[in-house]
Amino acid sequence: MKKDGITLARKRQRNTNCVAAIFLAPVIILLIVYIFYPIVETFRVSAFDWNGISSNPKFIGLGNWVKLLHDDKFWTAFLNNVKVMVLSILIQIPLGIAMATFVEFAGKKATIFKILWFIPMLMSSVAIGFLFTYALATNGGIISSISQFFGGTNIDLLGNPDTALYTVIGVIAWQFTPFYMVYCVAGYTNVSKDVYEASVIDGANKRQYFVHIALPLLKPTLKSAAILSMVGSLKYFDLVYVMTGGGPSNATELMATYMYKLSFAQFNMGYGSAVAGGMFILISFISLFTMRILNGRKEGR
Amino acid sequence: MKKRMLKLAALTLSLAMVASLAACGNGGNGDSSNDQASGGDAKTEEDKVITYWNIGTEGADKEALEYAVNEFNKNTESGYRVENVPTQNDNYKEKLVVAMSSGECPDMYTSWSGGPMNEYIESGFAQPLDDLYEKYGLKDEFMDAALAQATYDGKLYAVPTYNVSLAGVFYNKEMFAKYELEVPTTVSELEAVCDKLKAEGITPFALANGPKWTGSMYFQCLAARKGGLEPFQSAVSGEGTFEDECFIYAGEKIQEWVKKGYFPEGVNSLSEDDGQAKQLMYQETAAMMVIGSWYTGTFPSDSPEFYEKIGWFSFPKVDGSDADASIQIGTIGDQFVSFNCTGEKLEAAFECASYYASEGAKNVMVEVGKIPPTKDAADLITDDVTKQILDAATDASSVQLWYDQYLPPAVAQVHLDTCQELFGLTMTPEEAGAKFEQAMEEYLAE
Amino acid sequence: MENGYKMTKIKSRIAWVIATFFAVAAAIVAITPFIFMVMNSFKEKFEMLTKGVFALPDKLDFTNYIEVIQGNFFGYFLNSVLVLAVSLIILLMISAFASYPLSRFQFGMKGLIYSAIVACMSIPVHITLIPIFKMSQSMRLYDSIWALIGPYVAMGIPISVFILTSFMEQIPKEIEEAAAIDGCGKVRMFFSIILPMAKPGLSTLAIYNGVNMWNEFIFAYTLTQSQGNRTLPLAVWEFKGQYSMNTPMIMSVLTLTVLPMIILFVFAQDKLIKGMTAGAVKG
Repeated sequence: MKKDGITLARKRQRNTNCVAAIFLAPVIILLIVYIFYPIVETFRVSAFDWNGISSNPKFIGLGNWVKLLHDDKFWTAFLNNVKVMVLSILIQIPLGIAMATFVEFAGKKATIFKILWFIPMLMSSVAIGFLFTYALATNGGIISSISQFFGGTNIDLLGNPDTALYTVIGVIAWQFTPFYMVYCVAGYTNVSKDVYEASVIDGANKRQYFVHIALPLLKPTLKSAAILSMVGSLKYFDLVYVMTGGGPSNATELMATYMYKLSFAQFNMGYGSAVAGGMFILISFISLFTMRILNGRKEGR
Repeated sequence: MKKRMLKLAALTLSLAMVASLAACGNGGNGDSSNDQASGGDAKTEEDKVITYWNIGTEGADKEALEYAVNEFNKNTESGYRVENVPTQNDNYKEKLVVAMSSGECPDMYTSWSGGPMNEYIESGFAQPLDDLYEKYGLKDEFMDAALAQATYDGKLYAVPTYNVSLAGVFYNKEMFAKYELEVPTTVSELEAVCDKLKAEGITPFALANGPKWTGSMYFQCLAARKGGLEPFQSAVSGEGTFEDECFIYAGEKIQEWVKKGYFPEGVNSLSEDDGQAKQLMYQETAAMMVIGSWYTGTFPSDSPEFYEKIGWFSFPKVDGSDADASIQIGTIGDQFVSFNCTGEKLEAAFECASYYASEGAKNVMVEVGKIPPTKDAADLITDDVTKQILDAATDASSVQLWYDQYLPPAVAQVHLDTCQELFGLTMTPEEAGAKFEQAMEEYLAE
Repeated sequence: MENGYKMTKIKSRIAWVIATFFAVAAAIVAITPFIFMVMNSFKEKFEMLTKGVFALPDKLDFTNYIEVIQGNFFGYFLNSVLVLAVSLIILLMISAFASYPLSRFQFGMKGLIYSAIVACMSIPVHITLIPIFKMSQSMRLYDSIWALIGPYVAMGIPISVFILTSFMEQIPKEIEEAAAIDGCGKVRMFFSIILPMAKPGLSTLAIYNGVNMWNEFIFAYTLTQSQGNRTLPLAVWEFKGQYSMNTPMIMSVLTLTVLPMIILFVFAQDKLIKGMTAGAVKG
């Protein structure tokens, strides 16, 4: 009897494994072809001194990696990425929750806000880059005009190494906050209407409902939002490349822009690959580590 | 429940459709590969196509390029056909690197000579062309300076195409007349002009230094007028240094001018591509602009009326310096075509490029405000400003290609970065020179 | 008692006024750049530069739009729609498949596989260019829009699986257990219970990945070369050369590019997020 139970459990597990394998297969195949293979290739290339195009790369072993460890520019870029990451999480996610909560509480009337708020997400980086360079221009830009209106002077935000990075972070937040709004709106659908109605009957007001009921139920959504924002910020490229190209004085240089310039503009594919590899290791480590902390108890199971 | 199953069925069905659609796409490709395997004809057919990558997506570049390609395809007896593949400039170099690294380099491609072209040549993606130049008699056709910029290690590797572009000073003639200003011939006169403009509330120079190469032109001109080209060339070869007096002078002048307010506010964040420099010229809040002379095409294409107001002068000489003031910084040829094919195909491709030197192509270029890099350009050009620029180019004892194009790409990047820092006053000329020199030495050490 | 009720009511009204004020302010910040984009698309090149980017256009002139539409715009548009539709459907289907065992099963390599997929999120896109270019060449897909589908799907997988897994984990165990008692197998359980309940996650992903694919530039740029195979983000370059760019024309192209997305979002957002779940919960 007991033996039968074990075989049955085993059988069931085998069945589970089988179903899991079938369901996972397409994703795993695509990832191996399009992502694992390029990663392996990157690590391979990083062992060479190679301009990216010649047919005889020179093997230098760990040379590029040693250089990477001592490359101030890379670590400055990494630090910039960390700043982008911290501020993005602190700005985008709370704003996203606020917007989603407003939409959730206001109901149908707020649809128009949801649509208007979402527009930044839809615009292409080309247009955003163009309009913000003009809006941020020291002379005649919108920010400077506002400052002058209040009796201040012209402000050079993008050209000043002290403010450039924060300005870019602002623009990135402008573009990506809507995503976290939509994400939280979707998260709210998990907080079922019944719970809300029950809490209203119990006499809870909206603030209490939000703090004690909605927020805890949104927690899984927020955790994954934080991870997404983290990874997204650590490998960010687009707007920075369009708006500042990493300047002035490397103030906005990110790992991705640095890697891109090395690999494709400076004919240093070998070292560029080492930077890309370093990026990959750092980002994976940080995100997996954070995930483990956030899901601590569950992973331990 | 039933409804759900129906929905599901519909979804699966559409997925299947999509999959078959995708399969169709593959099928189409599969067919063509079958053709190739079965009939040798298809393969030779494909071999008879010369792929030509370039950046002629828009405006003047596009017109001259399409003229050359169309003429070739119409007239050639080689049996080859050139397929024109225009690509946006911004990521063009990256696209070339990706293709070359996969061994799929196009048969003909545009580059800007200098550092990157040398990399292409060293990696075996360009062919020497001296014999073909002889055969088509093109050596006498192009300006010597143009051929010099197409030369690597004593051999010709490219064909110059569109334009003669020098770094010089465009100025607003009307404003100069209004404020009773004379065209300056020395840097101190230039500074006097700037001071007067400044007193009138006008920004002397329109400059957008976001992309860095724009501000670098001021640096290059100042250094060349102070010390000629010798210091630069010996610094590149490793005998001299970028800490030479003339580079320090250039850095000091730039910083002096920044402090005096000769440049627009927030100059390092203005974007040249988005038109933030020329905008100041058009709004007449700035009076001068040191920029490549392709602006003889840019100004009239934006507004022919405004172009009437524009004059040009060569960068003034430095007081007390005995450097040859006829030296120019710029490119003679602008874009150069290199070839990655051999034998008959190379000859056909070269024939196509030779159409850039044809009467028709030259006329197209002149019409859109460009200067063909050919010896007879002077006979074709009627526009005064353009003529002046051409004269400066032909009178020049030598023309130095833009630093950022000429130098090895990694060194060029350091030059651009440090030069921008000079404008931002975040680095002293000495520090900038030392960093520049260090990058050069590192490159030479390899 | 009545007073207290009134007080809360007034308090809540004030809170709403403040919230609405911020909402309006946020909406203005969000759409101002869009409005300027549209405004500049009506200008002439020289007009934009002399009068400034933030001035009103002289006249409501559709010449730019007519020129754009008379070009190859519709060709690019169709390519974009086709690539988007195919890639998005494949991506959402297979991501949902993969998230199911990762969120609801217990099996040996689960942790490892999940971590590997999450790690894939950290890949910098540019390092995949050369390997994918080579693959497209050897699969004879280079210079066709089909070359884009593989990378578009693959680049969306890590984030999609990550989000969907987190959504599916939140579905209460009880529902599944009840179904299991009814004799529902694992595969049927996925299609009839888990998939419908994951719809809010799927719709978020449809929006997110859809927008990314619609604006995707770098793969479209490297993997195609002839005009017939270009997608919308490449349409811009007909107005951008080495030394010059016709910004108002580019703004027209970009406005026309973003418009379908906005229209789609306006009509679909309600259905996408709310409607689908409501249906699922009822069923």
